[in-house]
Amino acid sequence: MTSLIIVSVLAVAVLYLGLFKYKTALLPVSVTGLLAAAAMAAMDWDLEKMYFSEMMLFDNYAVAFSILLILTTLLIFGLSRNYFEKISNNVAEYYALMLFALAGGVVMVSFHNLAMLFIGIEILSISLYVLAGIRRKDPASNEASLKYFLMGAFATGFLLFGTALIYGATGSFNLAAIASSGAFESALFRAGVLLMMVGLSFKVSVAPFHTWTPDVYEGSPGLIAMFMATVVKTAGFAAFLRLFLMAFAEASAFWAITVAILCILTLFAGNITAVFQDRFKRLLAWSSVSHAGYLLLAILAVGFSASSAVLVYTIAYSLASVAAFGIMILVSRARGNDHLDSFNGLARTNPFLAFTLTLAVCSLAGIPLTAGFFGKFYVFKVALAQGYTWLVVLAVINAMIGIYYYFKVIIAMYMKENANAVAIQLNPGFRLVLSIVVFLIFLFGIFPGLIANIL
Amino acid sequence: MLTQSLFYFLSFLAIFSALAVIIAKNPVHSVLYLILTFFAITGHYILLNAQFLAIVNMIVYAGAIMVLFLFVLMLLNLNAETEPQKPAYIKIAGVVSGGLLLLVLVGALKTVDVSGAGGTTATDMGLVENLGMVLFNEFLLPFELASVLLLTAMVGAVLIGRREA
Amino acid sequence: MSHFLIVGAALFSIGLYTVFSRKNAILVLIGIEFMLNAAILNLVAFGRYDRIDNEGQVFAIFAIVLAAATVAVALAIIINVYKQYKTIDPDKIKDMKY
Repeated sequence: MTSLIIVSVLAVAVLYLGLFKYKTALLPVSVTGLLAAAAMAAMDWDLEKMYFSEMMLFDNYAVAFSILLILTTLLIFGLSRNYFEKISNNVAEYYALMLFALAGGVVMVSFHNLAMLFIGIEILSISLYVLAGIRRKDPASNEASLKYFLMGAFATGFLLFGTALIYGATGSFNLAAIASSGAFESALFRAGVLLMMVGLSFKVSVAPFHTWTPDVYEGSPGLIAMFMATVVKTAGFAAFLRLFLMAFAEASAFWAITVAILCILTLFAGNITAVFQDRFKRLLAWSSVSHAGYLLLAILAVGFSASSAVLVYTIAYSLASVAAFGIMILVSRARGNDHLDSFNGLARTNPFLAFTLTLAVCSLAGIPLTAGFFGKFYVFKVALAQGYTWLVVLAVINAMIGIYYYFKVIIAMYMKENANAVAIQLNPGFRLVLSIVVFLIFLFGIFPGLIANIL
Repeated sequence: MLTQSLFYFLSFLAIFSALAVIIAKNPVHSVLYLILTFFAITGHYILLNAQFLAIVNMIVYAGAIMVLFLFVLMLLNLNAETEPQKPAYIKIAGVVSGGLLLLVLVGALKTVDVSGAGGTTATDMGLVENLGMVLFNEFLLPFELASVLLLTAMVGAVLIGRREA
Repeated sequence: MSHFLIVGAALFSIGLYTVFSRKNAILVLIGIEFMLNAAILNLVAFGRYDRIDNEGQVFAIFAIVLAAATVAVALAIIINVYKQYKTIDPDKIKDMKY
């Protein structure tokens, strides 16, 4: 709770800094504030506190995901030096909007009432509609903003209608009251669960509701796309799982088959389309769709092992995405575009970047010794424990397709030459963040126990 | 009964004008029919003992939101009759999906057990006083966060809408 | 009272149809408003049968607040898009391919 207050107040403080033109203070203040917020979140560990007549429950699940969201934002801020300045002169507002979005994300992982879920999702979404369109002179950015908005608002309609039906069936918005209402057989409740599932699927880009993802990721500025792929996706899945775990778990026999179908569709749609992409940002966008599929596997296995698996997976995925998107930003800035050919010869000019990107895509593909391997391992494990063997087999096939397209970029970097490539200059922020990411991917890849037993 | 016939009249008005919104070729007409729909929904709220909400709906939707819509439509000069139309197959797909959803929802809603729930007959529950008690006790936190939501929307709208310096 | 719910369901379906079938971003937005209104109507109708207190109507107020906020942002985005493309047909606004 304190961390949520700090993040919200920090956003307002950043707005004031912008008003009084302290542009150099923006980044240090935001970083300090986020560190304080993460520390305060950690203080809530094991307290299991309810706030404001059961509106929020800061259990360990909420604390772990809040810290993950805050630290990921911190990494993204580390890359943001001199980034927004190039886009516009209203820098403070962008930091403030990202912090507001983060506040929404914290609400989404700690809600204990559908009202909080709804408001959290909307704070997050509204900030992102704007952030996607911050390159106001760039048509692609405007397009991304409009598409994201139309799809997001459409999803909100489903979410709200589903909430209304569940309220009608159970007489409450409180998760515990819904879980103990015993109305799982009623058609009203089932329709509500399905509508909420559709709404949330839009938000986390699960097929067949994923069509906006590539356009929005490609049109948005790289750093915002990174924010969408990491913080937004993590918050979305944490909320998805929390809702289904705490409120709808008893009715799992009814919705499990739907989730399984969505899972297969998402895996195949994401992975097969990603194979045909020749631009790295779109490739990452489609791969983020496919990662949503793997995460759905964990939702099938309701139970506390599922939250642990989702936590490991999202940590690994967020770290790797920060590195991949970060290097994509550097390369497309230096070479004009993010086409896969632009990565040719990167190993010769920038060995460190090439190594980091290799590690990141290995982690995304799930190669052993990286964090991503254990992400997939735990997700498959919980799905197997629930008896979804056929689903895991399909997921493993997809993971292999994934290796194929992830390795295309590695081949470009190491095997292909680019005669007139020059070394890309790194600023200290990038160097620091990428080093931290490399260290953490290795650390969690070798000692997965550090994060696997948190929840 | 008066309330019953009032309900049927309002429902007819709401659905008729909603259909008119989507049939009208001119966007400005659509928005005007939309205002009619919102008035009908406001009437429903009064029938449901939600007096405060009825007023809020009237002010926010019919007042603020619709005026904003009309402003933008006129600003962009989209009142031309030459509204582009989507191909027929998409429209048919829209009808089919909308119709199926309606069928499912009506099926689900049919089963609502009205008698067992024991609806309140208190007519004052939708007044400001009673709503305020709930809003500032149980829903205090969402209320505060709604302010964050509004601030976000305000910053965003100004940021995107204003002239680039 | 299930009559109220059926009106809500009808409005929701009409909204869905509008979102699918119109080419004008503002009319798509109107369809979304229909869907939100249908949900709010349902919330209020169910709120009458709330056993404890009046949560349905309070939630409805939040939903209205949200609708107002999104419309403001949406129209800003639409105006901006119109300045760039001179159209607000989401299908024509397409620089990118799949």
